[in-house]
Amino acid sequence: MKNPSRKTVPMKAALIIAAMAVSGAAQAATQQEAEAALKDAKASEAEAAKLTNRWVPTERALKTAQKALDAGKWDEAAAQATEAKALAEVSIQQAKEQMTAWHDAVIH
Amino acid sequence: MKSTPILLAALLTVAGITSWVMDEGHAAASANSTTPEQDMQAFQRYFKQRFPNVKFPDFANGPYAVNAEMRKQWEEIMQFPPYDFAVDEGKTAFETPFKNGKTYGDCFPNKGIGVRQTFPYFDTKTGEVVTLDLAINRCRAENGEKPLPYQTGVMASLTAYMSQTSRGKPFDIKIPDDPRARAAYEAGKQYFYSRHGQLNFSCASCHVTASGQRLRGDILAPALGILASFPIYRSDWGSMGTIDRRFTSCSAQMRAEPLPPQDPTYRDLEYFLSYMSNGVPIAGPGTRP
Repeated sequence: MKNPSRKTVPMKAALIIAAMAVSGAAQAATQQEAEAALKDAKASEAEAAKLTNRWVPTERALKTAQKALDAGKWDEAAAQATEAKALAEVSIQQAKEQMTAWHDAVIH
Repeated sequence: MKSTPILLAALLTVAGITSWVMDEGHAAASANSTTPEQDMQAFQRYFKQRFPNVKFPDFANGPYAVNAEMRKQWEEIMQFPPYDFAVDEGKTAFETPFKNGKTYGDCFPNKGIGVRQTFPYFDTKTGEVVTLDLAINRCRAENGEKPLPYQTGVMASLTAYMSQTSRGKPFDIKIPDDPRARAAYEAGKQYFYSRHGQLNFSCASCHVTASGQRLRGDILAPALGILASFPIYRSDWGSMGTIDRRFTSCSAQMRAEPLPPQDPTYRDLEYFLSYMSNGVPIAGPGTRP
């Protein structure tokens, strides 16, 4: 069995960078942009769900985005949707990688 | 909207994962070439070597088997086991007839007494893994009763009582000669070793690699025998909880959206873990920090 802890560093670093990036991502978004961003994020999360790998923060960001959209807060909605999209994409990538990578952790 | 930082983050993410896969993915070879029996022998050998001072049956007691300080606290707690009330409630529920006059006992071999160690089993008629909890709710459905919530309450009490009647009986999980059973076993195995959630943890990260070590205030239980004490009274919960409750809370702790209780994936996971623990005696109900 290999040391799985080695795998966590790139993922963590990427997530931290993604979180930092999205914090300033949306400025002066229009309603159309916010709606498109949310639709895009939901599509990615649906793909993550098919892979049985939805993440808690993705769901939270989607809900916050929807709430902001309903309240007419386009900037916030777009920012949260963008964050949800980024998280969902990483969760999809994780699930796809784990389809084979899990073998490395098996006790032999 | 500013898109550059997002693109940068996405590129770094992909780059990070790609390097991770190139580093580790080459050995993704023959995990399916081993039989369940071979898996079990390797699994049990690993934990015996990791914890050479733990007697095999004691793996049923999770963190208390591997940490002397916690064991001392546990022994004091066990002077007045916090799950006793649940066992009493479960016995009453178990023996109370349904509206049609039948009881839970009518749904199980040996009237449901001393059978916990044979769950989960693979039902070759329906082609699925059947846990004790699922069997209880199916028994209710067959007798015109509404299903019980899976994570706590009466379900936990019923399984507490049924587990107590099996105490000391070693896990005796079978994998019938049926490709669907083997597939369910392999699916449970894959889930156990696969990383999920934002924290990029697998079940094995905590209960194999870090078993016996501290995670904040907890001692991580070895995966061997980890289900033998369920259902449990958990101080952190302040109440009883079933295996479903533990699985869903583990998922949430990894920042993965939990699956619904008794989702086929969780049932397959229980099947795999229980098979790996064959020979470990049932010790449920139990208590945990």
